[in-house]
Amino acid sequence: MSTSQFFISAWNFSPAVLLSGAAAIVWYLAVFGRDRRLGWFCAGIAVLWLTLLSPLNALADGYLFNAHMAQHILLLLIAPALLLLGLPRWPLPPWRMLDHPVMGWISGMGAMWFWHVPALCNAAVASRPIHAVQTLSLLALGSLFWRQIVFPRDGADGLSPVGAVIYLFGACLTCSLLGIIVTLSPVAVCSIYTMPPADHLAMAQTIRNGWGITPALDQQIGGLLMWVPMCLVYLCAIFAQAVRWFAEPGSTLKRPS
Amino acid sequence: MNEIAATLARAGLLTPEQREHWKMAWLSTVDHKRIGILYLTTALVFFVVGGMEAILIRLQLAVANNHLLEPDTYNMLFTMHGTTMIFLVAMPAVFGLANYIVPLQIGARELAFPRLNAYSFWLVPLGGILLHFSILAGGAPAVGWFAYAPLSESPYSSQLGVDYWALALLVLGIGSVATSINLIVTVLSQRAPNMTLRRLPLFSWIMFINSFLVIFALPVLNAGLVMLLIDRQLGAHFFLPPGGGSAILWQHIFWAFGHPEVYIVALPAFAILCEIIPVFSRKPIFGYEFVAGSTVAIAFLSILVWAHHMFTVGLGHAIELFFVASSMLIAVPTGIKVLSWSATMIGGRIRLNTPMLFCIAAVVQFLIAGLAGISLASAALDWQTKNTYFLVAHFHSVFVGLIVFAIFGALHYWFPKMSGRMLSDRLGKITFWLMTIGFNLTFMVQYFLGLAGMPRRVFTFPDLPGWTAMNLVSTLGALFMGVAGLLFIWNLAASLLRGQPAGDNPWNAWTLEWATTSPPPHENFHELPPIRSRRPLWDEAHPDRPDPVVGANGKVDIVAPEKLRTGVITFIISESCFFAVLILAFLFFNASPQPGPSAHQLDLVKTSLFSLCLFTSSFTMWRSQVSLERGRHRSMQVWLGATILLGGVFIAGQGREYWHLLHRGVSVSSNLFATSFFTLTGFHGVHVCVGLIALLILLGLALAGDFRGTRSFVLHAVGLYWHFVDVIWVLVFSVVYLSPHFS
Repeated sequence: MSTSQFFISAWNFSPAVLLSGAAAIVWYLAVFGRDRRLGWFCAGIAVLWLTLLSPLNALADGYLFNAHMAQHILLLLIAPALLLLGLPRWPLPPWRMLDHPVMGWISGMGAMWFWHVPALCNAAVASRPIHAVQTLSLLALGSLFWRQIVFPRDGADGLSPVGAVIYLFGACLTCSLLGIIVTLSPVAVCSIYTMPPADHLAMAQTIRNGWGITPALDQQIGGLLMWVPMCLVYLCAIFAQAVRWFAEPGSTLKRPS
Repeated sequence: MNEIAATLARAGLLTPEQREHWKMAWLSTVDHKRIGILYLTTALVFFVVGGMEAILIRLQLAVANNHLLEPDTYNMLFTMHGTTMIFLVAMPAVFGLANYIVPLQIGARELAFPRLNAYSFWLVPLGGILLHFSILAGGAPAVGWFAYAPLSESPYSSQLGVDYWALALLVLGIGSVATSINLIVTVLSQRAPNMTLRRLPLFSWIMFINSFLVIFALPVLNAGLVMLLIDRQLGAHFFLPPGGGSAILWQHIFWAFGHPEVYIVALPAFAILCEIIPVFSRKPIFGYEFVAGSTVAIAFLSILVWAHHMFTVGLGHAIELFFVASSMLIAVPTGIKVLSWSATMIGGRIRLNTPMLFCIAAVVQFLIAGLAGISLASAALDWQTKNTYFLVAHFHSVFVGLIVFAIFGALHYWFPKMSGRMLSDRLGKITFWLMTIGFNLTFMVQYFLGLAGMPRRVFTFPDLPGWTAMNLVSTLGALFMGVAGLLFIWNLAASLLRGQPAGDNPWNAWTLEWATTSPPPHENFHELPPIRSRRPLWDEAHPDRPDPVVGANGKVDIVAPEKLRTGVITFIISESCFFAVLILAFLFFNASPQPGPSAHQLDLVKTSLFSLCLFTSSFTMWRSQVSLERGRHRSMQVWLGATILLGGVFIAGQGREYWHLLHRGVSVSSNLFATSFFTLTGFHGVHVCVGLIALLILLGLALAGDFRGTRSFVLHAVGLYWHFVDVIWVLVFSVVYLSPHFS
């Protein structure tokens, strides 16, 4: 299959994804009405659809590790952030354990490291159900991570802007670390991409020869996506925190209880 | 009583009762102002040393085919020049200024940990002596300040020079981290009432952010240095390709430190410009929030972009592309800063005193350096110019054009505060013009030399058209700068003896350091002016049109975080970076199995049991903290004892593991598994032992009944450290012991 054919034909129209996205918008309208933040929410759903329905998904499905990584970033970082920005308030009832910033941080970072354990990374490509679990868990854990930034809790346990900067900076360092490992690793992290089990779209030739992406280069780009652009997302969030901080009247330091 | 003491006393730098033993009064001082001056003096001494090395280098390069210096001597000189200027001049000068100014600006009486401060300072002369002792021990290092492997490894540098170099940098690195921890804790917990973080003068704010950069970056270098020393002294092969090591890894480690390092010395220069330019333009800084925010962005980005120092290594197009893009991003926050300084000057009533002259030149020269920097961030151009004088010109534009100029400006600006006397403005202006002419003669022609293809790091050059003339101009410029340096020292000495008295606030500045006498009394302030904005002295002088109030109006209660706890958390962050490098190195070398000993020779079962002891000790430590909070001293002692016992059992278990390995002929130099295993677990073991010593001291204090009141903070601080050591072991254990069984 040639490149142009691929980008035209590799879309899929998974009813589950389309319907759950539509259902989310309906739920939003039912609960919050036509809130001014609706645009953010719809953007989140659009990112979700593009991530899971576009050719990116086809590439991530056994062909390219870096497409998988792009998907991973979109699902863990971009989509949850947009969805949460679209919400007027945190929709779930308080749950002490999960509401703590430390838990938020661990869920965001844990999701990233957990799904890149070589065995799990391979399994998520090879098995449909595990792949579905991966997608859902990335979204859920990503939401828990961003929740601390978008809806900081009041009181001593909530993140002050200064705390949020440390939270995001720590996240950046942690994902850089994983990115560095993936980029510089002399062995394949997700070995299934080096030898795709089934070439169902007949793209293997085009990718290796036409695009010139070897398995080693593929992994390098994947690692670099996590190393550099991901941190820039956190940097944008840090800016937002700085703006919030300089705009906020009153005491700047919250004392740890 | 000799003349020095008399001079110091006259300048108000000695109290009458200290005149008899003035040497001890200065050597044993823990006063942040004196330590600041000691830092600056040390930096000045090494500036003369490094400057003379530079002059020798330039004299050698003055004409083509010159043989004034031997090639080896030349290599030693440029190594020592680079190392000296960065680690013994720029960093001590920056820390000296921060030491002196930050506590005054935030209205504090002292740094958070005065004794730690004295310790960090005295590590600087120790490091300097270690570095220069190498000259007596078989020759100075001749490997460049970057000490690229394998040149820096024993087969190629068999003398002790590199070992002394590495030791000196380790010592200096530890001192820098300690000082930065001190500054962070000081800014967080020692600020005057109403001095909220958003009212912080930009100098203190930037120094605060900069300290974070230090605690992230320096441990990375320290980890690299210990690996290099293990290679050289214990026969390992971390960075030696013939033994399976990776020379590229050294470059990664070095530049992961080296790039932030550029900002570690550049951010303070920005800080100085942010302080001086508004005062001499008679306007508040333009866009305070943007300057403060862009500082955070620069610090953040600087950690991400080190690979642009390695474009010519051949990392591959993908890596280069990413780092070209991210490196160019740095132009945005630095551009914001240049814009802020320029906009501050526009429409201001500019006073062209010496400090301001140095700062204006620094802005212009930094702009040129930055433009060259953007061109170097493009990998294609970098390949052509990296190993030429174009790069030499670029980084000297940053280090001299920005940083040295800013520091000269700062010294002219704050000298009156430190000594109570003005520096001569006439001599200062002559110094400035000599410096500016000298700097531009020296380095502007080097851009052209580089584009003409003259390679750097080579001791002489052939007589090609234009090369000799340009080199001669460059050498001439260096001599100008040398004269400027001497004139500056003369000005310092002369003004200290008979300068004009300065008064409290000679520049009509607005920050708190000018609200006290010059020099300030031992306790810094008798009384603080009210702090409602970022310019408290402006508000006081102009009650009719004060600055807008920043933050909540009226009284703001700042409850400062407890300083020991904050200090230990900062220390833990810094140690995490150290361990991150060692763990990454372990993963890198053990990704694929190698011939020789492997992880399967480790005793997984027994080590799991011993690890369990260590994890339990975290629990007992926590119980002991809880007991102390509830005032149950007896049970606190018991839990503390249990913690020590469990930690001791763990260490004994590790000792047993080591003994078995050594018994079977597995030593640190066997192969890279063994090297990285012993390095990683060994350093963890050292941390456990340090924790055990601290716990034993606490237990001793507790048993002696000397453990009341404020001491409870100490237990919590040590507890934090102990938990950290355990968390590190969780990581080390999973990486070293568990992961080989799952792949």
